[in-house]
Amino acid sequence: MKFSLFRGCFIPVRLPHIESISIKILEDLGVEFQIVDEFSCCPEPVAFLNDKLTGLAIAARNISIAEEMGHDILTLCNGCSYSLMHANELLKTNEDLREKVNDVLSVTDHYFKGTIEVKHFAKVIYEDIGLDTLKKHLEKPLTGINVATHTGCHIISPPEIMRFDNPIDPIILDKMVSVLGEKAIDYDLKNLCCGWTLTNFGNRESASKLIGEKLGSMRSAGADCITVICPQCFYQFDTGQFLAQRSMQLNFKLPVFFYLQLLALTMGYSLDDIGYKDHRVKEPSLEEKLGRFLD
Amino acid sequence: MNIHIKYDSSDFSLNIKETAEICFKCGVCCVVKGHSCHAQYDDQFNPKYTFVYDCLGTDEPSNNPNIWLCVSCHKCEEICPYDVSPVKFIEAIKAQSFEKGNIHPVLFGELEQISSTGYAFPLTRASERRRNNLGLGPLGDLAANDVKNISERTGLLIKLKNIKEGVD
Repeated sequence: MKFSLFRGCFIPVRLPHIESISIKILEDLGVEFQIVDEFSCCPEPVAFLNDKLTGLAIAARNISIAEEMGHDILTLCNGCSYSLMHANELLKTNEDLREKVNDVLSVTDHYFKGTIEVKHFAKVIYEDIGLDTLKKHLEKPLTGINVATHTGCHIISPPEIMRFDNPIDPIILDKMVSVLGEKAIDYDLKNLCCGWTLTNFGNRESASKLIGEKLGSMRSAGADCITVICPQCFYQFDTGQFLAQRSMQLNFKLPVFFYLQLLALTMGYSLDDIGYKDHRVKEPSLEEKLGRFLD
Repeated sequence: MNIHIKYDSSDFSLNIKETAEICFKCGVCCVVKGHSCHAQYDDQFNPKYTFVYDCLGTDEPSNNPNIWLCVSCHKCEEICPYDVSPVKFIEAIKAQSFEKGNIHPVLFGELEQISSTGYAFPLTRASERRRNNLGLGPLGDLAANDVKNISERTGLLIKLKNIKEGVD
């Protein structure tokens, strides 16, 4: 199956280095996809829950564009997956709603039929490619690096729609890390949200407190770094950690990697290739540790 | 003497979700660290405070500014022992609040940005430069007209305009 790559907004605008390496790695893995410039925002789920009809219509427009190309949609973001998969499920199963949304869509050249699937890249790697096949692409397993995984909220719940991992005890990302040679460490606050909304809609001190406790839990369990599969989570653990360093007086740093960046390192790419220089949180001791494998 | 118990049809909690009635305020949705609501970290809010005390105990829960801290992560729903699903309740309160013209300013900004440009974040010169340096193509505005037309058709554009101008 060929995919329409749904880049979303956050990665192309705020984290283009992640877009760049993601495209290279997906190509290297043999995933067939096309970049689609006609896509809009997914739309952002927290904002459009307040106006569901508009949110569904915007999501339906995106899905219908991929339908017209005969592709499934491949996403790089938990939030985009949440919006698009909710809309896809609702509109496939509720005929009245589908008619209503298609009536709104009549102001565009698109029509939602309900013929395709939406898949997060982690699901494609874990289920479609498979970890055994993934192993064959690895050149430099990063043995001895301890990684704290953070799966994020919107990709695992509600499970009847997202159909990816256990929402109370997620382990798929741990398996995806272990196959790279690294050790996925267990830690107390593994399932705690990254605190994205506290940063945006609450007060920054609360967000820093959350980040500080979560990072402390990771550090206590022996983590060298963090990996995520969502750009907002990435931003929280990078820029959010950078801000929390001061207010929480943290005496350690845990760099964060988007999973496809970590995978890229094991496939022979360098720290420069994955855009590490654009990260806010860097740790020389980790760079040295990684250097033993990458040089 | 006959005793009549009358449920007022305007009762907010019953209108939104009948299962709200079975919540017995155990607080699990907000106290199990790592598995419940992250908003427990905010001094002003947790689902127990908003969901139980505000939603079931006050007349105007939709005026509570703390409802906007909910990110719909569904953790409260996963952990609730009685299937109350606070998230659905809070989402409904937020939608009702928006219907009345109230919304968190950041969310208002997002709705305005997306409905007018198709993107949630403004593309700055710095972003364009970074994209260019990485050999990535420019982000066009091919979706903007469609998203604007959809938002006009559903009434979102006029709603946002009215909120901005303070029109009831």
